[in-house]
Amino acid sequence: MSVEETVREIVTRIVRRPASEFAKETTFKDMGADSLDIVQILSAVEDKYDIELEDDALTDIKDMAGFVAYIERCISENGK
Amino acid sequence: MLFKGKVSLITGGSRGVGKAISTKLADEGADVIINYFRKKSTAQETAREIEKKGVRVHLIKANLAEADKIDEMFAEINKEFGRLDILINNAASGVARPALELDDRGWDWTMDVNAKAVLLCSQRATKLMKNGGKIVNISSLGSHLVMPVYTAVGVSKAALEALTKYLAIELAQLGISVNAVSASAVLTDALKIYASAQGLGDSVYQTTPAGRMVTPEDIADVVAFLCSEQSYMIRGQIIVVDGGYSVSPESAMKVDK
Ligand SMILES: NC(=O)c1ccc[n+]([C@@H]2O[C@H](COP(=O)([O-])OP(=O)(O)OC[C@H]3O[C@@H](n4cnc5c(N)ncnc54)[C@H](OP(=O)(O)O)[C@@H]3O)[C@@H](O)[C@H]2O)c1
Repeated sequence: MSVEETVREIVTRIVRRPASEFAKETTFKDMGADSLDIVQILSAVEDKYDIELEDDALTDIKDMAGFVAYIERCISENGK
Repeated sequence: MLFKGKVSLITGGSRGVGKAISTKLADEGADVIINYFRKKSTAQETAREIEKKGVRVHLIKANLAEADKIDEMFAEINKEFGRLDILINNAASGVARPALELDDRGWDWTMDVNAKAVLLCSQRATKLMKNGGKIVNISSLGSHLVMPVYTAVGVSKAALEALTKYLAIELAQLGISVNAVSASAVLTDALKIYASAQGLGDSVYQTTPAGRMVTPEDIADVVAFLCSEQSYMIRGQIIVVDGGYSVSPESAMKVDK
């Protein structure tokens, strides 16, 4: 599974929305994610890739494309 | 050294109060297993500091809101150490809202991490405490004194305190002591977040009749006592560490700016 597919599965499972509602330009707000959902999403992604995501980084992330790109950056930095 | 050769697990042991407890138990010779939730680099830094004391330190990332993660954590402890002597249920999380604004998920999350996990961890720890053991649960004055937006956490701590008593009686026959330590405000990240939710900013200070604020080390010292044989006859008690705050109506439940 690509990072995007994995993130789609995690996000839609936690906010309990159909996968079809997840698109590159969707925001956390569009998905109806509150702060508790976001903590659980971040934790699930961290477990999946054995990475650490910074809460502060989320303030600059606009949408799911940005979130996926941030995760990919963390994965590649972790591998170095 | 009080705990040479003992194996301890401190949930949420990577920072704040939990870090002080991990450090104290290691100072007294215990090997420490530190559970944390998300802040891996903080946990690794704490592990490096504590390893310098010459004890074994083992980190386990696990979200205690999930029962299967708790199972995995104890399976790992069994594999790595084969036993456990001391369990400190310290990790806590919570949604800071007034009662009328709390939703069911915020309630469940807070109760799962702060109360249900105490039961699940204690059940699993008991199986590994083959020669008896000590369990200490960390509570706060909010279990019985009302503080703004502390509803869910306060209720979860009341559950933790009641559970402490039930476990103390049931586990006594297995040679396991169970007690709790309850504290007034302690300057940690959690307090800063709580204060900012109340619009107090993050420079908070709480005076106590004892003349200063409670520190993580004050709590760790009492936890160590409760893990030692000197406290053998103390069972099912909630030991309050608050510099006299809760018995002094004058100090009122406020966090000063
Ligand atoms: N601070 C106070 O004023 C105060 C007063 C009285 C009692 N207490 C009690 O003291 C204890 C420690 O509080 P603190 O102020 O030191 O808290 P803190 O600084 O917020 O640290 C919390 C610790 O718990 C971990 N944690 C949080 N959620 C978790 C979860 N879902 N699963 C596993 N671990 C989790 C954190 O891991 P990560 O770092 O990886 O997130 C961290 O290690 C708590 O029981 C608290 O209620 C605190």
